[in-house]
Amino acid sequence: MCDWCEKYGDGYERWYFNPANYARRLYKIRKEEAEAAGAEANPQVAGGMAIIGRDFLEARDRGDMEEVEKIKQQAESTSWFTHFGQVITLDEALKIVDIMYPIALITCACRRSMQGLPDEENFTCMGMGPGMYKWERWPDTYRGGVHFLTPEEAKEVLTKLNKRGLVQSVFTFGTPYLGGLCNCEYPDCAAISTTVDFGIRMLWKGHYVAQIDPELCNGCASCVHRCQFKALSFVPSRNKAYIDQFQCFGCGQCATECDQDAITMVERASLPALANVW
Amino acid sequence: MLPTITVDYNKCKDPLSCRKCLLICPTHVLGLGTDVPVVKYRETDTEHFIVAGVRFDKCTGCMDCIKVCPQGAIQVSFSGGM
Repeated sequence: MCDWCEKYGDGYERWYFNPANYARRLYKIRKEEAEAAGAEANPQVAGGMAIIGRDFLEARDRGDMEEVEKIKQQAESTSWFTHFGQVITLDEALKIVDIMYPIALITCACRRSMQGLPDEENFTCMGMGPGMYKWERWPDTYRGGVHFLTPEEAKEVLTKLNKRGLVQSVFTFGTPYLGGLCNCEYPDCAAISTTVDFGIRMLWKGHYVAQIDPELCNGCASCVHRCQFKALSFVPSRNKAYIDQFQCFGCGQCATECDQDAITMVERASLPALANVW
Repeated sequence: MLPTITVDYNKCKDPLSCRKCLLICPTHVLGLGTDVPVVKYRETDTEHFIVAGVRFDKCTGCMDCIKVCPQGAIQVSFSGGM
């Protein structure tokens, strides 16, 4: 079981299936706590780019591992308290849509920041819960506006974005309040790149791990480009795809692409060496 | 080795609509930010968007951003020379 399920699962199979973590009451408590502590009042400000600065890169560049470790721990504890994510599968995302309301399609702050993507091409992010009703207070966070979706519309959009290759994840805004259902990609997603490139876990691995059946894999390699986490490669001498399961984040992108059904998503908890690899 | 990347904001006025440097960079080093904080009830004006180095560790020194900038606003240097 992951730390977050243990702390905030309250009997539910996953912490993000616990409706209390989307509730207005929690949203209000977390928001007031943060404001009392002097934090910026905007509940949905994206924190990615600001958390890891040049000082981390310089420390790493000169081999000062003590400083690297210090910055890493500070960044993780800030992130886990305020704004971090966990990878989920498409099936899990579709299930979440049925337990909370409202849900709105919004523009992705990360891709605006890294690509300057125009708003009309950038509606790939989803905001959830009561905070969404207050979007007009923060027009800069919600540049391009918001589109409220019915659960059925949200499922259609999620399925389409998944097909396009984007990874589904849930994000907290004042942990454990869950306010974001993101559709992410490497390297322009701040959480994925910070996690994969620096080992600073702003994005936790999911509850599943992809596993290849070598007898079913026909070596077509169509799965390889789907991985956003540098976990998937191709072994020419065997003519098979290869998954580094210790690096796999469990998003399921490779499994849905495989038309031989050679990749299955297995429960992380069922593999002793991976059960605590998050 | 990390580069020093400087952008002359007197020359680079509207990076959000230009974004040539963001798109040409082969390793996605540059990013967009704003030089003012987010304010309630107000959308940040596009003139407050600025380009800056973000993923310095991925910069190879190819200088494509310098070549593509229509305003000649970007400079990239490495302390070891270049």
